[in-house]
Amino acid sequence: MRTRMFLTVGVVAVLSAAACGSKGEAGGGAADNGTLVIGASLSLTGKLAREGILTREGYDVCQSVVNDKGGVPVAGSRRQLVIRYQDDTSQPDTAGQLVDQFNDKGVKLLLGPYGSATTEAAAAVVERNGQVMADSSGADDAIFAKGYRQTFAVLSPATEYAASMVQAIVDLADPKVRTVAFISADDGFSKTVTRGGIAKAEQLGLTVVGEEYVPNGTTDVSGALTKIKPRRPDVIIGSVHLAEGIAIVKQAKELGVAPSGGFAETVAPPTPDFTQALGATAEGVLGSTQWTPTTAGSDKWFGFAGDYANTFAAKFNGRQPEYHGAEATAACLALVLAVEKAGSTDPVKVRGALAGLDEQTFFGPLKFDSSGQNRTKAMQVVQIQGGKPVCVWPANASEAALRWPATKAAA
Amino acid sequence: MAGDEGGGVNQLAQATVYGLLQGCLFGLVAVGFSLVWGVLNVVNLAHGAFVLGGAYLAWELHDAFGLDPFVSMLPAAVVLFGLGYAIQRWLVNLVVNAPIFITLLLTFGLQLLAVNTLILLFTANYRSIPTGYTGISLVLAGDVRVPLGRLIAAALAIGLTAALVYLTRRTRTGLAILATGMDRGAARLMSIKAAHVYALTFGLAAALAGAAGAAVGAVGTFSPADAGRLTLFSFVAAVLGGLGNMWGALLGGLVLGLVESWGGQLLPGTLVNAVAFAALVIVLAIRPQGLAGRAFYASRLEA
Repeated sequence: MRTRMFLTVGVVAVLSAAACGSKGEAGGGAADNGTLVIGASLSLTGKLAREGILTREGYDVCQSVVNDKGGVPVAGSRRQLVIRYQDDTSQPDTAGQLVDQFNDKGVKLLLGPYGSATTEAAAAVVERNGQVMADSSGADDAIFAKGYRQTFAVLSPATEYAASMVQAIVDLADPKVRTVAFISADDGFSKTVTRGGIAKAEQLGLTVVGEEYVPNGTTDVSGALTKIKPRRPDVIIGSVHLAEGIAIVKQAKELGVAPSGGFAETVAPPTPDFTQALGATAEGVLGSTQWTPTTAGSDKWFGFAGDYANTFAAKFNGRQPEYHGAEATAACLALVLAVEKAGSTDPVKVRGALAGLDEQTFFGPLKFDSSGQNRTKAMQVVQIQGGKPVCVWPANASEAALRWPATKAAA
Repeated sequence: MAGDEGGGVNQLAQATVYGLLQGCLFGLVAVGFSLVWGVLNVVNLAHGAFVLGGAYLAWELHDAFGLDPFVSMLPAAVVLFGLGYAIQRWLVNLVVNAPIFITLLLTFGLQLLAVNTLILLFTANYRSIPTGYTGISLVLAGDVRVPLGRLIAAALAIGLTAALVYLTRRTRTGLAILATGMDRGAARLMSIKAAHVYALTFGLAAALAGAAGAAVGAVGTFSPADAGRLTLFSFVAAVLGGLGNMWGALLGGLVLGLVESWGGQLLPGTLVNAVAFAALVIVLAIRPQGLAGRAFYASRLEA
């Protein structure tokens, strides 16, 4: 009888672990004369499907805008942009295999998958095959610490996600903030974000009174909050995803954890779900984002950030772009600009053009350092005001003044 | 722990209170799972999806009519009862005599189907039902907080478990359920319709799952991706508490809640899941029938 119980336990474990998925269909082809073929392995199904599809929308906007304006100028002729998608089912291994498949078909120019884990897997294969990849969403600095030369990320690195909020609070908050505590998810990306935030806080003279890690994707952070409560931080900074971000604000209220300044949480507040789930409790929470429609800068394809938002909305029934769409379009734009500058689709020449790129765009500056990261671009800090995220930092993009203290002390 | 007087004690008291409340919620989520396993010998891997069904129903009712999620427990339970009855009567009953692996696979398939249907209907976004008492807490000595929403959920968990115990011990229907669970052949000779009683049991479990879902929606956040986690919690709570006793799931839930909460205070926060499963392994090694359960066959004789 005991055996039976253990057997059942075993089977349940196996079934829970079984993540099934199918690989994308075969397709794609090499560039012929009239077209410029770019490959993209994307998470169209699986746990990252939502973000994967937002990323595809950004790539699609790039393709249609570039083609509507006559295509990519390459050495005197114009080429239509064709992006070929393959579904990596949110699995890093599959993303790597798909990059190989693209290479077998002669597709040398690639757009990145969604997320740091899949991008890291793809980047290793890209490097081996001598392909070139414009990374739209893999922000983990670990991807760029391996000496790769073929992958270029348009977005600000992970270390900036929390650091930008620390900088904004130090620049703008009145009364001044002295102590901060960090609650971080335990995945690689979030930990990199936390390390960057702590380094920035210490550099700016703040005292870090707590550093707690919670399981990635948890909806219960009560343990971390209970530990932090007696240390009375002025600000609690969450390096989190949506689930943990909502839990921090909700459970802090339940547990009477009321920082005198407020809460700051990296990527959760800019998403509409955050305010929907929390209602009035979301008010005043800070977040950081790669892009908003007020980002400074413009380019000849998409105009200013506001123009890009209009283009996007016109293509998707009036829906406003999230930063996922914008960063995807920016990655595609980087390749288009590089091909134009190189006057060739040869991967070696395109790689050289990307390395030397220095352009203002609707996404902010595109300029890569020797590791392939875009450190010139600043993150933006938003605050939930009146139920909407509005940009409060940096000054050249801000829509409203920071409201501080962001939360009233709870009784 | 941060140096102020009594800080450590208060922290532990807070962790205990929160763990107990969380444990009651785990118990409520798990009680239907435990019932089906104990009576039908079916490990229902779709249980978490039923809980989410209740949560989304409560969310819709709140959105459309402003109904309080704790009130929505009733309609959620009714709808899920119908669904559960139908699934057992016309689907699981077909294979209920087959080896346990077949029902495991069937319910695993149901779970995949249900989760993807939920994603199609409601998207994969995280949701939470906003209520007027979200964030309101009773304050005890030492600034220990008792969140009101979770207190109501805990009281309802105890109440529903007590009601289930009453039903199975004191009513004809309940006794028929137990009798069928103990000896189907003998129950049939007493003119009990086994197929109907099995469906009734499964429907009851689904109804409890639906009610639990409404409570989860009121105090926490949920998304279709949580189905597996909820099933796993139910599984751990049911095994910890032991089958064959309707209080077992609640007891198992309380142990799970406390272990997670204390583990979170005394160890790095990322280890909480490991601590919970370590507790499960220890209990199974010392008392294979669970804390309140009876050894396997005996468990099928009395609730």
